Amino acid sequence: MSLYALQKAIRDVNRDPAKRAAFFASPAGLAAQYPLSASERDALERRDYAALYALGVHGLLLRPFSILHSVSEADYLRAIRGKG
Amino acid sequence: MALSFACALGHAPGILAWREAAPAAQRERLYEAFGQLRMRLEAARLDCLVLFTAEHWANFFLDHMSPYCIGRAQEFAGPIEPWLKMDRAMVPGAPDLAEAILTACQEHDIEPGFSYEMQLDHGTMIPLHFLTPDMRLPIVPIVINTLAPPLPTPRRCFLLGRAVGGVVRRDARRVGVIATGGMSHDPGELNHGRIDESFDRKFLDAMKLGDAERLRSYTVDQLRAAGAGAVELLNWIALGGALEGARGEVLAYEPVVPWATGIGAMSFDVMGAS
Repeated sequence: MSLYALQKAIRDVNRDPAKRAAFFASPAGLAAQYPLSASERDALERRDYAALYALGVHGLLLRPFSILHSVSEADYLRAIRGKG
Repeated sequence: MALSFACALGHAPGILAWREAAPAAQRERLYEAFGQLRMRLEAARLDCLVLFTAEHWANFFLDHMSPYCIGRAQEFAGPIEPWLKMDRAMVPGAPDLAEAILTACQEHDIEPGFSYEMQLDHGTMIPLHFLTPDMRLPIVPIVINTLAPPLPTPRRCFLLGRAVGGVVRRDARRVGVIATGGMSHDPGELNHGRIDESFDRKFLDAMKLGDAERLRSYTVDQLRAAGAGAVELLNWIALGGALEGARGEVLAYEPVVPWATGIGAMSFDVMGAS
């Protein structure tokens, strides 16, 4: 239901240095700024790429988000394909 | 006739950022084709350039998406990606041409959005890197929504292109029109790395023949079946609308697995168009 807010949080982390720093300092603190469902909040806080992808996050938001955390392409694809 | 140049080419970040990852022969054939396009563009002595292009959540987000957004800034900065391995630059805009395009679109019952403040990402900057490396040719970027469904239909993008083509033909300046992006690719999605060469070659054929009927009759779903990024071929279809049947030449097509995309480079015979 709040996929919009979830994608907005990820886009903000990708594009806004202050939001990015906030997420790296405290994923839960950043996540609390957005009206997320419990499963969305959990997936975001744990950077669960498989769950985030299954929730509907766009690949061109999610892959750059994973690159911020130095996730390799192979590991990212394994995760979203459910083989991680 | 002020439509003085037209081409289409890919914009995959790997073209610059991961250039060494591609097989050397493929990379060289593409660079050679891009060099050819640049020579033809320079021979056309353009005054400005209109780009049907895509962006990747750089400027626009789900808080406000337009089907098409026309950039009417005095200048544009790019690329936004610090890792793209090209210098940041300021590219001049052509706001009066942007305004003429917007006005003509309204007269054709098409209502694009517009922006005085747009940053350019790899979708526009990689083509400019190869075509106008000094970054001095004024541009009008036309960003088509290729990200958030529902997308504009190919039929509608073709009409947008036709309106743009009409303005360009009436303009006293020498204007080039280009399309960026595609071809088959599924970036960041489940089929990342899959390239549908047969789809790509059929599409190139339609562009080569200036086959309006084939271009208009693609559906978004047919494009998307070749990957989430293949919908960037909406840019090419818009170019097809601007070309009014002009024939094209495929200078290169390469399915580049390490760059995870099929890349085409085409030039169009605008002088021979009716």
